[in-house]
Amino acid sequence: MKIVLQNLTKIFPSRNKKSDEEVIAVNNFNFEIPDGKLIGLLGPSGCGKSTTLYMISGLQKPTSGKIFFGDDDVTELSTENRGIGLVFQNYALYPHMTVKQNILFPLQNLKGADKMTKEQMLERAYQAAKLVQIDQLLDRKPSELSGGQQQRVAIARALVKMPRVLLLDEPLSNLDARLRLQTREEIRRIQQETKITTVFVTHDQEEAMSISDMIVVMKTGVVQQIGKPQDVYDDPANLFVAKFLGTPPINVFEGRVQDGMLYIGEDAVLPIKGVENQPVTVGIRPEGFIVDENGSLKCKPVNVEVMGRDVSVVSTHGASLNPFVRSIVDADNRIDVGSGVVRYAIKPHKIFIFSKKTEERIYFEVK
Amino acid sequence: MSESSIRTMQNRDMGRVTSKQRVAKAIGMGGTYLFLCLMALIVLFPFYWMLISSVKSLAEYRLSKPTFWPQVLLFSNYAEAFTTASLGRLFLNTAYVGIVSTILSLFITIITAFAFARLEFKGKELLFAGLLATMMIPGELFTITNYITVSTFGWTNTFTALIVPFLVSVFYIYLLRQNFLQIPNELYLAAKVDGTSDWKYLWKVMVPLALPTLISITILKMMGAWNSYIWPRLVANDEAHRLVTNGLRNAFKDTTGEVNYPVQMAAVALVSAPLFLVFIFLRKYIMAGVSRSGIKG
Amino acid sequence: MVESKQQWKAWIYLAPAIALLLVFTVWPIINTVRMAFLEDYSIALASGGEASFRFGVGNFVKVAEYQDFVTCLKNTVLLCVITVPISTLLALLVAVALNNIKPLRKTLQTIFFLPYVTNSIAIGMVFAAMFNIVGSLGTRRPLIQTVGIVNNVIEFFGGSYVNWINNGSGYWANMFVLIIYIVWNALPFKILILLGGLQSVNKQYYEAAKVDSTPRWRVLWRITVPLLSPMIAYVVITGFIGGFKEYTSIVGIFGESLGPAHAPGRLNTMVGFIYDALAQHHQGRASAAALILFGIILLVTLVNLQVSKKRVHY
Repeated sequence: MKIVLQNLTKIFPSRNKKSDEEVIAVNNFNFEIPDGKLIGLLGPSGCGKSTTLYMISGLQKPTSGKIFFGDDDVTELSTENRGIGLVFQNYALYPHMTVKQNILFPLQNLKGADKMTKEQMLERAYQAAKLVQIDQLLDRKPSELSGGQQQRVAIARALVKMPRVLLLDEPLSNLDARLRLQTREEIRRIQQETKITTVFVTHDQEEAMSISDMIVVMKTGVVQQIGKPQDVYDDPANLFVAKFLGTPPINVFEGRVQDGMLYIGEDAVLPIKGVENQPVTVGIRPEGFIVDENGSLKCKPVNVEVMGRDVSVVSTHGASLNPFVRSIVDADNRIDVGSGVVRYAIKPHKIFIFSKKTEERIYFEVK
Repeated sequence: MSESSIRTMQNRDMGRVTSKQRVAKAIGMGGTYLFLCLMALIVLFPFYWMLISSVKSLAEYRLSKPTFWPQVLLFSNYAEAFTTASLGRLFLNTAYVGIVSTILSLFITIITAFAFARLEFKGKELLFAGLLATMMIPGELFTITNYITVSTFGWTNTFTALIVPFLVSVFYIYLLRQNFLQIPNELYLAAKVDGTSDWKYLWKVMVPLALPTLISITILKMMGAWNSYIWPRLVANDEAHRLVTNGLRNAFKDTTGEVNYPVQMAAVALVSAPLFLVFIFLRKYIMAGVSRSGIKG
Repeated sequence: MVESKQQWKAWIYLAPAIALLLVFTVWPIINTVRMAFLEDYSIALASGGEASFRFGVGNFVKVAEYQDFVTCLKNTVLLCVITVPISTLLALLVAVALNNIKPLRKTLQTIFFLPYVTNSIAIGMVFAAMFNIVGSLGTRRPLIQTVGIVNNVIEFFGGSYVNWINNGSGYWANMFVLIIYIVWNALPFKILILLGGLQSVNKQYYEAAKVDSTPRWRVLWRITVPLLSPMIAYVVITGFIGGFKEYTSIVGIFGESLGPAHAPGRLNTMVGFIYDALAQHHQGRASAAALILFGIILLVTLVNLQVSKKRVHY
């Protein structure tokens, strides 16, 4: 079931009668979510990702725009009739019912042709419980379960009616670090087994990148970029996307393009063509540095952090917009911190330049 | 999880579903409002009836077909009500009892709640538990003995009998104590360091901070005095000391056909008016007090 | 040093309250129990020099034998058992309805709270006026001037008038009026508590129910009511306790005759019985009746608590 978002906009009227400030939570969102894929809505808090999710679910009504499930316009359809599954950030498990009753609950609401017998319902519930591996806990109450277990019950409840769309609101944010890794794999596995179109919301870029088929990066209600995680990482559309993805984060410098050469500070880093002379912001991925005694980028090393297979070299540079420049290089490199300088060559596909004014990506060719 | 079963959820006539949904929502909202308005009318009707009956003439009241708006507005009914039921005297008595008992009671409640909230003494827990236990016993149990006690003291037909037995309400002490406990202990310790005596601290700091609760208690207590019936009737029923509820009921003894109903309604309206005014202006405090305390004043 | 000073100070603060409580609360408890078990006790006899009262249950037996007692007990139980469920259910529906609307909510809340701030007896008289038939009944040819507003409404819809509370009216007609009045009085408090409870329920449960496509009645029955059950239990328990003490409502409608002209005392309740005994200076009997009432209330409360253990979810 593909989901089509067409010019989706949500404006919240100002709560304060004095100021006319209204909040544009989602601004003209256009996207066609392909059937059976796992999509991550990614962005900092306040970027509109949860609002978008809630509009897909029907719990929020858009100010303008349309939402389609497949070919059906569901914009005016109430949540009860949309046939979706939603896993709330705080799970929202009915506290007075057992796990089994929680999972059975949506099945008992099915009407007409979808109506099931008691045996069928129990069978389906059991299948859902097995899918998320909580079939041993069916008679417990939510208050008797751990956070991870509660979340799995919430997923089972969302899936049991075999919805055409599965939505998850920050599914991992309430879990501890160890559980997070495990659970995100679970979500991936479940999605691939059931092939249900799934959209989940997160502010953790690592999470989104690791399991999504496609990610949507959002900032203050505006979509910044949509694409496969690796593509978005390798080919950011603007400075925000470049800075948001990647751990450790991208290194940002003040630079300029002058007569076919990209300069960072005084260092002539890369000969390029097709770009006019202008001041630019330069981003270099940590893995884009090559230690080269004849390298063009001269940095002052501060520390070398041992990572085993690689080392992370922490240094400073006059034109760096971050306090430190972090590179990740092979451990075979021997860096002498005391020498006061480390010289890098830059891999051309790991360096990005952005307009200083608009922060949009400026594409170039290497000469 | 087969593809086909997922498809079944798709194949619905979107148009029908959407319009059905809109109709259902409209019916739901409409039904809710209808129900609420109906209930509101039922709740309001006695008040409406009381008011319009109170200004009708007796003849109009007796019409076989009732009028929903009086033909003639007879405000003199109110004057007549006032004298027939000697409302002036009743109001004064009740006000006096209400005010005195509220002031004294507030004082006692405040110092007692303070002792339980902030002071340390042996047996505090036990004593408080004992106090709470007495809350469970219905008032009628006390009334019998208290009547005897009051008679023995010679307090029959005095205001003292109406005021003293009810000065201590364990419930209000409990309520105020809860409120006092919510005031941070650090304030108390800081005041002690500043050399403030307990007494000063109580009246200068805690009482102002607990003002909402105190206002609620005051209002509920005054309402209690206004509405009291059983005890005053038992112990102080003579002309000089009768309270308003008692006087009202007995001023219009039921004898068929001879009661001037509009005047009676006017009297009822007069008696209800102060409560109504208090409600309009202090509604917040009353409702907050009731929901926190859970009792009738 | 500070310790003992505090102790002594605390007792000073407590002194007025404790003194009053001892006289007007503790002593009555002891005394009431004492009097209940002293056979045929009455102050008059005691002060008259008859110091020899036997301890026994004679008072209780006398109480039970009284015809009035059975009437009072019956009335009390009936009123309780009928009004508490009705008022609780109505209050629940109103509270749920109020919770679902935004405009007009504050206004409606205020309206529904009005009966609480009224004088029980005063408004009782208004109800009596509404149900009252003006004229003389009980004679062979009743001379009716107006049948009262409630009867007018009935006649408007094609029915015939009912003698609700006047001379010659039936028991159930009287009870009907009483029940309506008691429910009317009980609604504000219950609505307030239930609405407060509803507003503290996490809205996300309702959103989850929407996602689960739950029809409205099922949301009410399987989600709202269970989540609200502590409040409902509280309202029912206090409702029963209050219900057993009904008395002033009856005085409000019927006056001190506690019944229509031809059957005075017909609607008397347990509390009324106690006060009647007191008025007749049979303190022993009154005490016994009071203890019986207390026992009943205790029993019913315990039963309610047992039931709520099973049904209430915290």
